[in-house]
Amino acid sequence: MVGIMIASLIFVTLGTLIFLKRPKIVFVISLLAVLILLLLPEFRSYVALVIAIGVLNLLSMMIMNNQIKGLDYALTALIAMATVYVVFTNDLTMILLMFVISSIPTYILVMTSENGAKVDVAVKYITFMVFATVLFLTGAVLLVYSKNVGSELIYLLGFVMLIIGLGMEVGCAPMHEWVPDVFDSADPIPISIIASIAKIVPFVVAYKILIMTLNPTTAKIVPFVAFVAAVSMFVGNIGALTSTKPARILAYSTVANMGYILATLVALINLDWIYLAFAGALLQLMANAFGKIGFLVSMKEGGASTYLMYALAFSFIGMPPLIGFWGKLFILLSIVKVGYVWLALILVINSAMSVPYYVRLARILAKPTIPSFVNAIALIAVALTFITLIPPNWFVDLAKAIIGGV
Amino acid sequence: MIDVATLLFLLFATPVACSLPIAFAWVYRPGADWARKLPILSVFGLFVSLCIAIYILLYFPDGVFEYPWLPDYNINFVFVFDYLSKYMGALTAFIAFLIGVYGLEYMKHDYRLGWYWFFFNMFTASMLLVVYSDNLLMLLIGWEGLGLASWGLIGHWFRDDDELAYVGVIGRKVGPLKMFWSPSFGGWRAISTIRFGDMPMFFAIAAIYALTGTLNISEIDWGHLFHHIGLVGTLILMIAFLMGPFTKSAQLPFSEWLMTAMTGPTTVSALLHSATMVAAGTYLFMRLSLYIEPWKLHHTPGVEQLYFFVLFLGLISALYGASVALGCRERKVLLAASTMSSLGLMFACAAASFWLGKIAIYVAFWYLITHAFAKATLFLVAGHLIHATHDRFCCGNLELAKKMKVAFLATIFATLCLSGIPPFTAYWVKSAMDYVMHHLMHEVGGAPLYLLIAVSVIYSAFLAKFLSLNFIKGDKPKHLHLHGEILMPLAYAVMVSMLALLLYAILTGREVEELVRNGLEMFVEKGFEKTSLAVGLAVLISYAITLAIPKLESPIGRFLGDRMYMPALNDYIVPKIGWAIAKAVDWCNKVIDVFCHQAIPELISTYSLGVRAIQSGSLRRYVKIALGFVMVALIFASLVGW
Repeated sequence: MVGIMIASLIFVTLGTLIFLKRPKIVFVISLLAVLILLLLPEFRSYVALVIAIGVLNLLSMMIMNNQIKGLDYALTALIAMATVYVVFTNDLTMILLMFVISSIPTYILVMTSENGAKVDVAVKYITFMVFATVLFLTGAVLLVYSKNVGSELIYLLGFVMLIIGLGMEVGCAPMHEWVPDVFDSADPIPISIIASIAKIVPFVVAYKILIMTLNPTTAKIVPFVAFVAAVSMFVGNIGALTSTKPARILAYSTVANMGYILATLVALINLDWIYLAFAGALLQLMANAFGKIGFLVSMKEGGASTYLMYALAFSFIGMPPLIGFWGKLFILLSIVKVGYVWLALILVINSAMSVPYYVRLARILAKPTIPSFVNAIALIAVALTFITLIPPNWFVDLAKAIIGGV
Repeated sequence: MIDVATLLFLLFATPVACSLPIAFAWVYRPGADWARKLPILSVFGLFVSLCIAIYILLYFPDGVFEYPWLPDYNINFVFVFDYLSKYMGALTAFIAFLIGVYGLEYMKHDYRLGWYWFFFNMFTASMLLVVYSDNLLMLLIGWEGLGLASWGLIGHWFRDDDELAYVGVIGRKVGPLKMFWSPSFGGWRAISTIRFGDMPMFFAIAAIYALTGTLNISEIDWGHLFHHIGLVGTLILMIAFLMGPFTKSAQLPFSEWLMTAMTGPTTVSALLHSATMVAAGTYLFMRLSLYIEPWKLHHTPGVEQLYFFVLFLGLISALYGASVALGCRERKVLLAASTMSSLGLMFACAAASFWLGKIAIYVAFWYLITHAFAKATLFLVAGHLIHATHDRFCCGNLELAKKMKVAFLATIFATLCLSGIPPFTAYWVKSAMDYVMHHLMHEVGGAPLYLLIAVSVIYSAFLAKFLSLNFIKGDKPKHLHLHGEILMPLAYAVMVSMLALLLYAILTGREVEELVRNGLEMFVEKGFEKTSLAVGLAVLISYAITLAIPKLESPIGRFLGDRMYMPALNDYIVPKIGWAIAKAVDWCNKVIDVFCHQAIPELISTYSLGVRAIQSGSLRRYVKIALGFVMVALIFASLVGW
């Protein structure tokens, strides 16, 4: 298993170094490096979904011309690799490393654009990311340390720092300030990577560390998670309601979605439902990734086919049988089962509130259906939102397998 | 040999299927010559139903026939064949067929034949379904079919352009009330009143199903059910259920729709408002009572109160209907009011079964049959008269009688038979009814008997008035156009002759096995009792007097003729309540509007702008907020840990 990972890593690194001036070859190398991961023996459906997101990211990168053409493919492939590898290891060093690896490439990607590096955007983004990384890593280390020394205070401080670090990294309110600005000013293509694949690792890592260090004090501090999640949902949805620029709507939609996903962490108080919670989180992350890629890539060209745009909007709204419905369903179920009914209620209210702006977004981006590359990417994204036509019991089993060994 | 299921299917489906050609023909080629011949096919459908109904009457053994529909829910096509359903089915099919024949001529030049025949035949099928159904859900389907068809038929002349189709003196007003009603209004009022009763009935049926797990009238253990739900439960359940029959049979205070239903073609009045639809209410009550067996439930809570209520509701409605008919000068409205009166008597008599047993139900049923033939005859005659004289109001003298001999004779015979003058048909049935009410003297008191006698006397008076004002002492008709009708006189001649057949059956009752088995040979016996003879004499005197003096102008008469201002309930009080509700709903709507379309959006947009105002673009500000939150959170965590 490690062999495949290392082979893939060496392949992409050397390939990129040798063919740095030939972006097309780097693209093929990156694509192959990602696809090699399909050979991994375990968690196949997770790996396949992540690779699907990674391949979509790679394909969208092709639309964009930038200063580091070639390198951008390799960086995207690197994030995909880290996202795949993070589920295979329970070693603290490795999972924290994966957290960093999935984060660093986005610092570079966010700057890229078709005319000159966007430094002002990058400064905002990197400032927040540095804070986030520091808080997250410190929090993680404190959590593990508290387990060894048995200190409740250190555990609580570590927990809060980890959650805030996670929130800053993915864009939960009230640490979301970078999100609307960056989404609005940067190029949509790198944002489609930041908004999709880069969100998965932080949550998986947080889940693993929190489960590892679980103790009776957790129940005391979990309301803090619920609070941040609720604030995030409200800020995201209310903010999006009056936004008219697609980028802004998507930014606030990200804030709201991160709120939904963060809410699943309340299931830490009852291990019986943690699998369902994690399944909900993962599924919602996938739903968010497909939707964001579809919308942001379409935004690059000013829009895409009406049908595709509405299908993506419906997935975000949570219409069965699309993936967004199942994500929210699992999240709701797990939250209700562990007794956080008020949070579930807030989630439902927020979900209802989100309907107008997703429909508005779909209407803004709706274009006649013509054969084009953007439409093809959006079509793949839409097709992937339909994978839950098979009721995703299998996803719960998958979630159980991923965090069962922690 | 055709099996039972197919036969029953044909019974219900043939009339509807046979009316489809004219219905569709009229959509695509309204008024075409060939289309005007298609009603014969519709009448043929009715004829097939009649044959099957008679076959059922003669050859089917008593019992229940079941055909699976929703077996998982214990809901099936269940048909019951017993004394009531067999005779009622044959009666319905026979009258429908005969009126169909009459209608061929009466409706010959109509502008909406497709509509008319489709609903006419659908009505017949629905009625047959109601008659034979044992399953309440199926019965409800037929019941709703009746409602729908009655709306279609009463409002048939929807253009409201023919004065002959109105009820009341056009343009007349009493206070704020308009005292005239158009066909479209009549149709609407009929369906709205009926629906008002059907809703509670629907819920009652659901409740019965929920409580007993079955909907078959004959299967339900009614005594057990009533014990289970107690006094209040029984009263609520049964009165909710009987709201259907009460509205359909136009009992007080739901009588107005029947009066304004006279805006429909006369054939409709003859079929719906004499023998079938309105009788369906009383029929259902009889059928229920037959299986509830209230005479065995004297110690069950609620049953006595219920039957007491129905007894007096029926009697009071009967008195009201008879009085209104006495004051009424419109041919059809007079007959409608008299129908309401008869229905009241049927309800009352059937309700007496609580004290007297099954026999009271059979007496009520016999009265239903007698009334059906007599009233249908009178309606058909009235239709012919309106056709010939172009006048809705009673008018006609001996000259007219000479020109319309069949109608004259039919009216004489029908009125004699229906009013209860010895020795004609209804006399014997009424005698049994006298006996029934007399029997209640001990338990309920004398009121039922006295009310019955009063109703009988008034009843015979207005029948005589109808005869006298239309054929003997009425004004000379302004127009008189006889078109040489053949089918119309034929139809009511056959109809009225059925009364002679019934009379024969009653007089030879001892030899008719069917009657003896049900204790109905007593008709003749009761007819020779002193009370009955006295009542018969009183009825005869009232008949004779009114025949001589048919008209008596008085304020009381006008009060009665204006139906004691009951229209105020429908046209004034209920609309006021309706408007009050509408206002309240409107008000709530506005509150919701303001809440949903102003308060919430403004609140949200304010907050939304607030949320978005954070994005000033200044990184310093962002960091301040984020790190500020980190500090607060860490202090919070320390406090929790401390």
